[in-house]
Amino acid sequence: MQRIGKTVWKRLKANRQTLLWIVISFATLLIAWQVASMLSQGRVQIPAPLEVFEAFFRSMTVPIGKNTILEHAGISLWRVLLGFVVASVIGMAIGILMGVSPKAHAVINPLFEFVRPIPPIAWIPLSILWFGLGSSNKIFIIFLASFTYVTINSYEGARNVDPKLIGAARMLGASRRRVFTHVIFPSSVPYIFAGLQIALSVSWAAEVAAEIIYSQNGVGWIITMGMNNGNITQIMVGMIAIGVIGYLLSTLMRVVEGRLCRWNRQET
Amino acid sequence: MEPAGNIILRCEHLSRSFTTPSGTDYRVLGDVSFDVRENEFLVLFGPGQCGKTTLLNLLAGLDQPTGGFVEMQGEPVHAPSPSRGVVYQTTSLFPWLTVMGNVEFGPASRGIPKAERRKQAQYFIDLVGLKGFEKSYPNQLSGGMQQRAGIARAYCSDPSVLLMDEPFGHLDAQTRYMMEQELERIWRAEKRTVLFVTNNIEEALYLADRIILLTNCPSVICKEYMVNLPRPRNYVDPAFLQLRKEITREMDPTQ
Amino acid sequence: MKRKKYLWLSIVSVLCVLVLWELVTDVLRLMPSYMLPSPLEVCKAFAYKVSGGVNPDGASLWTHIATSLKIALGGYLAGVVIGVPLGIAMAWYKKVDLFVKPLFDLLRPIPPLAWIPLMILWFGIGYGAKVVIIFISSMIACVVNSYAGIKQTRQVHIWVAKTFAATNLQILFRVALPTARPMILTGLKTSLGSAWMALVAAELLASTSGLGYMIQMARQMGRADIIVVGMIVIGLIGAALSSLLDLLTSRIGGKKTKRRG
Repeated sequence: MQRIGKTVWKRLKANRQTLLWIVISFATLLIAWQVASMLSQGRVQIPAPLEVFEAFFRSMTVPIGKNTILEHAGISLWRVLLGFVVASVIGMAIGILMGVSPKAHAVINPLFEFVRPIPPIAWIPLSILWFGLGSSNKIFIIFLASFTYVTINSYEGARNVDPKLIGAARMLGASRRRVFTHVIFPSSVPYIFAGLQIALSVSWAAEVAAEIIYSQNGVGWIITMGMNNGNITQIMVGMIAIGVIGYLLSTLMRVVEGRLCRWNRQET
Repeated sequence: MEPAGNIILRCEHLSRSFTTPSGTDYRVLGDVSFDVRENEFLVLFGPGQCGKTTLLNLLAGLDQPTGGFVEMQGEPVHAPSPSRGVVYQTTSLFPWLTVMGNVEFGPASRGIPKAERRKQAQYFIDLVGLKGFEKSYPNQLSGGMQQRAGIARAYCSDPSVLLMDEPFGHLDAQTRYMMEQELERIWRAEKRTVLFVTNNIEEALYLADRIILLTNCPSVICKEYMVNLPRPRNYVDPAFLQLRKEITREMDPTQ
Repeated sequence: MKRKKYLWLSIVSVLCVLVLWELVTDVLRLMPSYMLPSPLEVCKAFAYKVSGGVNPDGASLWTHIATSLKIALGGYLAGVVIGVPLGIAMAWYKKVDLFVKPLFDLLRPIPPLAWIPLMILWFGIGYGAKVVIIFISSMIACVVNSYAGIKQTRQVHIWVAKTFAATNLQILFRVALPTARPMILTGLKTSLGSAWMALVAAELLASTSGLGYMIQMARQMGRADIIVVGMIVIGLIGAALSSLLDLLTSRIGGKKTKRRG
């Protein structure tokens, strides 16, 4: 523990300049925001920063609508998790299948190419017709948003396995199945992870968009309600929550990747 | 003088052509025949891009010849098999496995129980001098150490023949020299039939019982040398230098 | 070569899906047409909208396309014109980097689409708010890619330029920018995609015309055939814009870009 503390301190000392500039740039932002809020009037209203932060922390205990902000966040995250996990599992399976079998690629890829240019958001009206106004239409949108990235990356990963490694494994007596599970799959993992990372952030964006466009709860709903009531403070509270969750999700993915793909890092 | 020992690997009239994108046939290997005898260190020596890797892939069973055949202990070779281990030019270690994971990959593929294969792997890791690096990933090792791990991995699936495709080609001169000595030490401790491909004449003379000279494309055998110098050899020994001069002249008569 | 070998499989696969779609809808009637229109219905609706039909959303397909394109391209161009130089400046001048990067990192986790309600309140549901949203979403990809591209410049190349007494600006234009070009072009392409998606989202939420509005209206009227037509048009235009950009950049970038990209 002490050692970690020491290294953190050393880094901070080395990056004193960076730290100073972070303080400067945040201070500038806050001051500009404060000044803008004092000058703003009429239609363009800008609440003061302090007011927004206060409202943000208040909303953790005082509900907006029926739920506190933490509950809203939980609802949104649960949808993302469901859509993302299902899409990841199916995407990996289809992607790897396309990567190892040219026949499967020929069958699946054209269908994929037809659907791919349509942004997932454009599916929202159809998804509402199919799945109703509740959670399932959003889960479907999240599924569509992440499925593409996971599939493409798994495909690229499985296709770009170094043939020398496959040769080496066969030489060492590995069966076809073992070549698949012990060579093709692990060597695709960095590609798959790159796909999962994009997919998760796109999922989060799609979830927010779907909630903004139509929902009864979740963090996106908070800002839509704010818009409908002309409550800009509430919009900003919702945006902060969205940003914090987005940041946490991408950090989580990076940590997991660091663990699983340790071998892939370049040691210097 | 005839080499001693039983014939373990035989190539008869082996040839391999590739079709170029423009549609013409490009002959890389033309009519190569030779025998490999048990426990000999045979070096295939030839210039730059003369089809040595193609030849080795045919012997390994990773590629099929356009003409002729390869036979191992009387059985035709069609597919790769653990009885012929390969060490490649650049590392072919699995980057997601540790040194231990790589070395025990062969026995694990054959379903040998963990305790036993660990023991085998540890023996060969110690033999190649990687003790203490069992848990390192390949990208944490230097080039020389990666090749040591590659040699241990090839040995660990208990092959009768080891095929080595310029295993030290990418190393710097100093490391290369050291690895040649190391390979000889390992080979003398654990005798196997080795088929070693190189384009470095000193390396060939330092390691070989017998050298087969290959010409450039299409590759054919132009001469064979027995190297009967005592081991470990000395690079500045007059007999060594004499043989080196002879082979160099054979490859390039202007010298 | 292998791909050509299985071309017939691709054709069969697409045909199978079309036949299945037709079977499920028109023939077996497993899905009602207000939920899943048959391929024939979609074709009919498509022909109707293309020939200038204004029902059920009050404007012809061409009007919607024109509205959407105007907004998307306006916001996109603004995003490129500001985003690319900003990314380059951040990567090349340490002070700019130190000042802007924290702000950029602070705002980046917020998906651009989350700005839509705020912008609508500030700028109304007309042209302005949507242009700003598209500007934000396209600028981010431009900044990120230009920044990464410039940072790829190899130190050796900079040293070489310095030994020839090149000025800082000369090094930027002659060494760093050529290195960064492929990444900058990638940024242009990525941001075009996100601009188009942001447009659809903004139009779904609040607008009175445009492709997003068209499919939103169609949903309220239960006209799934128009929704599917709208989605196809959105997909087609997105793909067309992206290949147009490819064409333009390959003209500028020459063969080199193609090989690297």
